[in-house]
Amino acid sequence: MQKEIFVTGAGIVSATGINKQETLFALQENRTGIAPIRHLKTAHVEFPAGEVKRSNEELCRMLCIPETEITTRTSLLGMVAVREALAQASLLRKDGLRIALISGTTVGGMDKSEQYYLDFLENDTKNAYIATHDCGACTEMIADYFGLFSLVETISTACSSAANAIMTGAMLLREGKADVVVAGGCECITKFHLNGFNTLMILDRELCKPFDAHRAGLNLGEGAGYLVLETRESAQKRNANPLGRLSGYANTSDAFHQTASSPEGEGAFLSMRKALEEAQLNPEDISYINAHGTGTENNDLSEGIAIQRVFGDKIPPVSSTKSFTGHTTSAAGGVEAVISLLALQHHFIPVNLNFSTPMSELPFIPVTEKKPAAPLSHVLSNSFGFGGNDTSLIFSKI
Amino acid sequence: MAKKEVYIWAAGQISVQSPLSEAWMTEPLCYREPYVQAIDPDYKQYFAPNTLRRLGKILRRALLTSRRVMEETGIACPDAIITATGLGCIENTEIFLDALIREGEELLKPTHFMQSTHNTIGSLIAIDSSCHGYNTTYAHKGISFECALSDAFLQLSNGRIATALTGAHDEMTPDYFVLLKRMGYLGHAPNGFSGETAVSLLLGGHKRENALCRLQGIEFLYRPEKDDLQQSLGRLLQQSQCRMEDIDAVMTGYNGQEANDRVYTENCARLFPGKRLLHYKHLFGESYTASGLGVYAAAACLGRQSIPAHLFFHPGNREQQGVRHLLFYNQFENKNHSFILLSACGK
Repeated sequence: MQKEIFVTGAGIVSATGINKQETLFALQENRTGIAPIRHLKTAHVEFPAGEVKRSNEELCRMLCIPETEITTRTSLLGMVAVREALAQASLLRKDGLRIALISGTTVGGMDKSEQYYLDFLENDTKNAYIATHDCGACTEMIADYFGLFSLVETISTACSSAANAIMTGAMLLREGKADVVVAGGCECITKFHLNGFNTLMILDRELCKPFDAHRAGLNLGEGAGYLVLETRESAQKRNANPLGRLSGYANTSDAFHQTASSPEGEGAFLSMRKALEEAQLNPEDISYINAHGTGTENNDLSEGIAIQRVFGDKIPPVSSTKSFTGHTTSAAGGVEAVISLLALQHHFIPVNLNFSTPMSELPFIPVTEKKPAAPLSHVLSNSFGFGGNDTSLIFSKI
Repeated sequence: MAKKEVYIWAAGQISVQSPLSEAWMTEPLCYREPYVQAIDPDYKQYFAPNTLRRLGKILRRALLTSRRVMEETGIACPDAIITATGLGCIENTEIFLDALIREGEELLKPTHFMQSTHNTIGSLIAIDSSCHGYNTTYAHKGISFECALSDAFLQLSNGRIATALTGAHDEMTPDYFVLLKRMGYLGHAPNGFSGETAVSLLLGGHKRENALCRLQGIEFLYRPEKDDLQQSLGRLLQQSQCRMEDIDAVMTGYNGQEANDRVYTENCARLFPGKRLLHYKHLFGESYTASGLGVYAAAACLGRQSIPAHLFFHPGNREQQGVRHLLFYNQFENKNHSFILLSACGK
């Protein structure tokens, strides 16, 4: 029998708010955080985005960090969410515990690199930001802000990064490599990937419409989401109040294309099925699927077909909360893990905003009306990344 | 449940030494310049022209070394593909970023962006081999490889997977070299140089013929306090049922940079007093995933049960035969530290 993994803390920052309370309010009020671009200095103002409604200076003030300190937006977003998660789990000191930070990011310090690119090459004035470019630097800035962590790792698998970090964290706990794990991911919007996604023609100029026949692409988002994970024994010993249980996880590869999903959604099908096996659950046990649901033509079709293959004619309620937060890329697995836990705790299913026309290829439509407060027992959260990197997590009520 | 034993079945590299070979053991190439790029094999022998056109350097190297160890072991589709890279596809990233900054946001093309993420490498190998299994990528500075190796080790030893392809891949561009040199990390000629890394290891959860060595265990930690390093090392030896006196030599990451080397000198004197020290960055150069080449070099020594004289850090040592246990110690900026214990397979 494998050790049970409890979630004893959660922190979230996204366009819908800078903590769980604000996020919950936005989700329950059907209020999207996606809006015209305000903070990012880009020519592409035609694309709406899920920006976190705080400037870097405001984030620094929230964290009591001097504005002169060398930071990146990605790491600041991470710090805010990790702080909320640690506080909820009452982890303020090491207390002899081996605490690990497993963080996912891909963009890392690209916000500063694109701002100071020419300075890097042509003069010596912004050297400090050379060292903040890479993904590991981002995780270490977060770790050093708290000074609690004796093991730090960074995972970079594009849009499944945070979900994979959560999975790695659970495996480390089960192998006794750490007593407590803080796992998730963070990512800020940059010109680099806004333009990258634009060259792939997968950005919607309107609000994104996941699982809609007329969907036209994704809205980029940013944010951070982290969970505090520990074994049942550790949580009990520390008197930590569990929010839920991470009962299943799986990562698979679609092995199809670097930037497109296979038509039959093989990777997604396998990751959902393996996560169910790991959790020892049947498909009908799942009360809600928090889909990857980016709003691109390719993802939603491929994911929808995979859902159909796994769940047959008993498809549970499905929604994509990217219609609230935008696609927070490497942070998405963490952001949506926290949203899944909020749904479990508060007995509601976030709706899929902006849906109007069913997709003819799929036998289901996403959740459009707030369901009556049906008790949720198990929530499946999907995060799929470039290269066909597919991860499914299952959170269960305790 | 009993833990499974983990072995390195095969290993292959493309680096500044002769590619896809162990020639460095007998005929090491020496460099005096600060920036050295890998010696690429003639890829036309291995890839179709249209494949080659699509793939940047890091991808060609990763794909070829991966195919090599898969062919060598007959494992067409490993259960897991676990990749380490400090900087990912930095050449493609730079090309896209350069165009974005110099030419603006209107004329960009997707090609370089599509292959700019860190997990492009692991995904390419999965696509090439049609492997639908576990696939992840660690990108954490000088400890990236240890994160990947630890993931593979844990899943192999608990039986979740039976085979894992673990890679360490970093390319270095001329521009990025200049930046990292300015930061004091790379290019300390004449005592050390910047290299490039492409190593693929095929690991398996049981012993088999021609395996290079056994991977006994791996420990790594961040900003150790007081006795943390000592304890971590003690844990590794205890789990491996190995005593300090059984260790033949310690492989270290001396690279010619003063601050880096001082940490090794101090910690080696404290942690492994009297042990003979080995090094590998004088042959392979420095890069974020250079420790992958270090473990490869140690595995190659254990496979032949001999350590070439030029791997000893202190002069005056001759080739050593009959080597049984090698301890690998890596540290990055005195923040990240790791220990890996490797043993000869024996009879």
